[in-house]
Amino acid sequence: MDHILSILIFLPAVAGILGFVVDKGSAKAYGVSVAAVELLLALGLWASFDTTNPGMQFTEFSPIISQFGISYNVGVDGISLFIVIMAALITLLGIILLRDDTKNMKNMIVSLLFLEMTMVGVFLSLDAIIFYLFWELSLVPMLYIIGAWGGADRVYAAVKFFLYTFAGSLILLVGLLAMAYLFHLESGVWSFNLLDWYTLKLTPDQQFWLFLAFFSGFAIKVPMFPFHTWLPWAHGQAPTIGSVILAAVLLKMGTYGFVRFSLPILPDASVTFTPFIMALSLIMVIYTAMVAFAQKDMKQVIAYSSVSHMGIIMIGVFAMNAEGLGGSIFLMLSHGIVSGALFMLVGVIYERTGTKIMEEFGGLAAVMPVYATVFGVMLMASVGLPLTIGFVGEFLVLLGFYKVSAVGTILAGTTIIIGSVYMLALFKKSFFGPVRHEKNLGLKDLDKRELTALLPLVAIVVWLGVYPKPVLEPIDNSVKALLVQMKNHAQLESTKEAIIVSKKEAK
Amino acid sequence: MENLVYIALFAPFVGSLFAGLFFARSPKTHLVGIVNSSLIGIAFIASVTLALHVAEHGAVHVTMMSWISAGDLSIPFGFLVDEVSVTMMLVVTLVSTIVHIYSTGYMNHDKAYNRFFAYLSAFVFSMMILVMSDNFAGLFIGWEGVGVCSWLLIGFWYHKEDKTFEENPSISPSWAANEAFIMNRVADLGMLVGIFLIYWNVGSLQYDVVFKALPHLADGLLVSIAIALFIGAMGKSAQFPLHTWLTDAMEGPTPVSALIHAATMVTAGVFLVIRANPLFSLDAVHGVSMFIASLGAFVAFYAASMALSARDIKRIVALSTLSQLGYMFAAAGLGAYWIALFHLAAHAFFKALLFLGAGNVMHAMDDELDIFKMGGMKKVMMGSYVYMGIASFALAGLPIMAGFYSKDAIIETAFNDGSFIIWAILVITAGMTAFYSFRQVFFTFHGEERYKALGFHPHDMYKYVLVAMAPLAALAISFGWFMDSFHEFITKNLPDYEMSHHTHDLAPFLGTLVIILALTGIFIAWKKYAGKGADAWKRDEEFEQSFVYKLVANQYYVPKFYDEFIVQPYTIASKKFWEIDKAVVDGFVDLIGKMFYKSGDVSRGMQTGSLSAYLNWMGVGALLLIVTAAITALIG
Repeated sequence: MDHILSILIFLPAVAGILGFVVDKGSAKAYGVSVAAVELLLALGLWASFDTTNPGMQFTEFSPIISQFGISYNVGVDGISLFIVIMAALITLLGIILLRDDTKNMKNMIVSLLFLEMTMVGVFLSLDAIIFYLFWELSLVPMLYIIGAWGGADRVYAAVKFFLYTFAGSLILLVGLLAMAYLFHLESGVWSFNLLDWYTLKLTPDQQFWLFLAFFSGFAIKVPMFPFHTWLPWAHGQAPTIGSVILAAVLLKMGTYGFVRFSLPILPDASVTFTPFIMALSLIMVIYTAMVAFAQKDMKQVIAYSSVSHMGIIMIGVFAMNAEGLGGSIFLMLSHGIVSGALFMLVGVIYERTGTKIMEEFGGLAAVMPVYATVFGVMLMASVGLPLTIGFVGEFLVLLGFYKVSAVGTILAGTTIIIGSVYMLALFKKSFFGPVRHEKNLGLKDLDKRELTALLPLVAIVVWLGVYPKPVLEPIDNSVKALLVQMKNHAQLESTKEAIIVSKKEAK
Repeated sequence: MENLVYIALFAPFVGSLFAGLFFARSPKTHLVGIVNSSLIGIAFIASVTLALHVAEHGAVHVTMMSWISAGDLSIPFGFLVDEVSVTMMLVVTLVSTIVHIYSTGYMNHDKAYNRFFAYLSAFVFSMMILVMSDNFAGLFIGWEGVGVCSWLLIGFWYHKEDKTFEENPSISPSWAANEAFIMNRVADLGMLVGIFLIYWNVGSLQYDVVFKALPHLADGLLVSIAIALFIGAMGKSAQFPLHTWLTDAMEGPTPVSALIHAATMVTAGVFLVIRANPLFSLDAVHGVSMFIASLGAFVAFYAASMALSARDIKRIVALSTLSQLGYMFAAAGLGAYWIALFHLAAHAFFKALLFLGAGNVMHAMDDELDIFKMGGMKKVMMGSYVYMGIASFALAGLPIMAGFYSKDAIIETAFNDGSFIIWAILVITAGMTAFYSFRQVFFTFHGEERYKALGFHPHDMYKYVLVAMAPLAALAISFGWFMDSFHEFITKNLPDYEMSHHTHDLAPFLGTLVIILALTGIFIAWKKYAGKGADAWKRDEEFEQSFVYKLVANQYYVPKFYDEFIVQPYTIASKKFWEIDKAVVDGFVDLIGKMFYKSGDVSRGMQTGSLSAYLNWMGVGALLLIVTAAITALIG
């Protein structure tokens, strides 16, 4: 199991380059096999992962530019482990769902494999420069996927997506460089190693500015209100596979950034900024849920609902206790699974009818019962029904955030109401009532390809809803360790008080 | 005993999977009905055995496995079978078994027969989780589970089109289903807040731990918890102002209405208050409890007033359910938890019977709901007539019937408590209940056979279905006779409620008063509606123009209010937000983008390709540099 992380990162890239010489007709089969191997490796990583160890495991370290302390440095803990597995899973299922007649299949597969490398790389990096490289590289394949396979306004959407996130990232880069400089001032050596940075004690003032710099990079990616408008465009124009990966994995890079960088490095600023983050997140939760309700296009409903759910994840990240933070990590996974599945489902009906406008459907439950059932399961997971994957994270986040703000939690809790409003409205318009168009009467139910992509997600939704322990336990361990690190690291007494690792300990 | 707990819990689940996984897409399969009914029956037998065990040896407590643990939070799948939950289990499984058997007949001609049983059994499973869980989070699983099953079953005939409010106040099954789900979610948020409060102040969600810790909590906190939990209860039990979904829920198939929207799910709120009696009986939360009782009394009257003139056979029964839920809350709020539970059980039996009887009538009348179009049906539907008669007698609270004992005890409680306003409301409502119940019976079964002119050919339900309903009829009559043994059994767990000597002495008079009122109600109904001829059922058009009638017929304009002051503003605000999102938030981003384009356009003028122009710009640049250097030198 030596170098398993490097294999995980670079296998898709190497396979992607080799993919150029693969025969056109077997491109999809090639993509599926590579993605399957990648998933198996990721699962192998889980199997050999020590769930009782909250720290970094399977670390690899080799200097690149030692004068500046830049090194290839990767590792995995309970927080990143499952996001990596999810990225591998979603990539595999997304490739399976690709239609055989996708144009330029070979390019698509190569892009996806390259994208997979950048995603896995982001979540495994422990060096700020390496992290940043993967972070920025991930834009390229997605830009290409939207620009080459997208809808009518694809170029506008792709450029908007690229420039917007890129602009934010540049400020993030400045923050990372400033951080390294501060580290140099303090210790006399250069280092971009995150674990080194964790040991650095910064004044609240320094933290304040660094937080803002990190924030601009991460918040646009999440995307937090009011930086979210690139997302509906990107989803509106992206092909199904693009939306699936974007919603399921790429957005999580933003929230993951907050967890990996902002919280442990800048604990005081994180606490100081909590009211600000809370305000933005609450707007995300309520405002975008309402915008989602106003949509006519099914895909836009899901797109805006993503923003709304990301708002819940954000307040969990800033709950400063193990329940809320652990819940938000879990919610990242569950949102990945559920939103990924929902975008796949939208793609399914779009391929059949050529439209995503809900008014055009109606009565699909009678025509496509299996499709309606799978959609219904995902709907219930999306609105956070207990015993589905969606409940666990949402419940923990709201529970944890209650300690921070009762009013804030009640406002955020309206998500269980307005979330069901737009989802049930979507379901009613599309699946209930009479069939609006006669041609829809002949629609085919899910075929084997679609079932292969969707049923694993249904199984996960139920499995982790009923028995989240295998995933929640390692997350919980690492989250507690992170909170302890934050607490020890904090400069202000008020910060130490705000961070609750365990009530029992406090007493 | 542990195995029995799991059998009682999972037998319905197995049935649901059996129907859902193997037969969802196949045409009607009688096997599904038989297997599922038997599995619920098994759950009933297991519950009976457990009840006997609990009576003898006390509660059974099992922990299956851990569910969620994060931070300090640890929630297991744990199940507690004690006096309270086993009573609920008996009620749920008994009524469910009968409703399952009933459904094999009622849904006989429905294409989605198998799907129906998958949902119905899933409901029973969720309900069992709700009543059996040993912690608040487990309760919440069941709470949401029954919500989803209710959504699926109200919207069972999802293909029906939306109508206008005037045509059909429930719009359509799928609309009513969504309304029920969303309105319940509003209440669920309250419940969640209650759970959060409990967790952060007690550190656990287990009933026993929480109830033990309650006396140590601050008064304000206890009140908050009680309010939050009761808001949750208001949703499921359809208390004002979260009640409109219940009458609309009648869009679902009638067996669903009988099981979910009369006997079991809607009593979940009452169950919660009873379960959390250590909280609600604290002195600190006395105000909340009084509010519960007052709201209950209000709802009892409010719903009954709407039932007086309703014409839809199912809505009448639904409103009477709402009214009776009010009675239960009145009892629970006044601290007579065991009486509330007793009425809950009695009500489950006679109301399920009443609903199933109404279902027979509908079945016979091709889903016609208007009682003005029926009349004289006792000739063709003797069995259903007898059943509905028994159920109505029980509901009206006539002597020896179940409702007599349970409802009378509630009214007596209000008197004993000195809450004479509540008492008066409940007494008057009892009279109204008798009137509208028998108005419905007389309209449907007596008088002229108006259906003939409309071309209906009613016939009674299958024999076996009528036989299957017999246990409910027997219980509707006799359940009250077991009041003393129930009292002895249940007060091992629930606090006893002692009537004062004064009340005890007056009890015969109070009881007689209620009986007289009930008989008067029935007599008026008889006089007005039981006779033959047009007079008996002619619509009183003058009355229908009156304000009072309109107020009641429009459900006190509450649905209209919701539509105009919540739904429409929300829709409009959502659309506005979307426009703002596009024009302002995104517009700003595009504006920045355009600024770059524009500045590019402008500065392009510099790139002329002419050497002399470049030299000029170079001069300007050099000058700027020199000036900057000079200024810095001066300042430095």
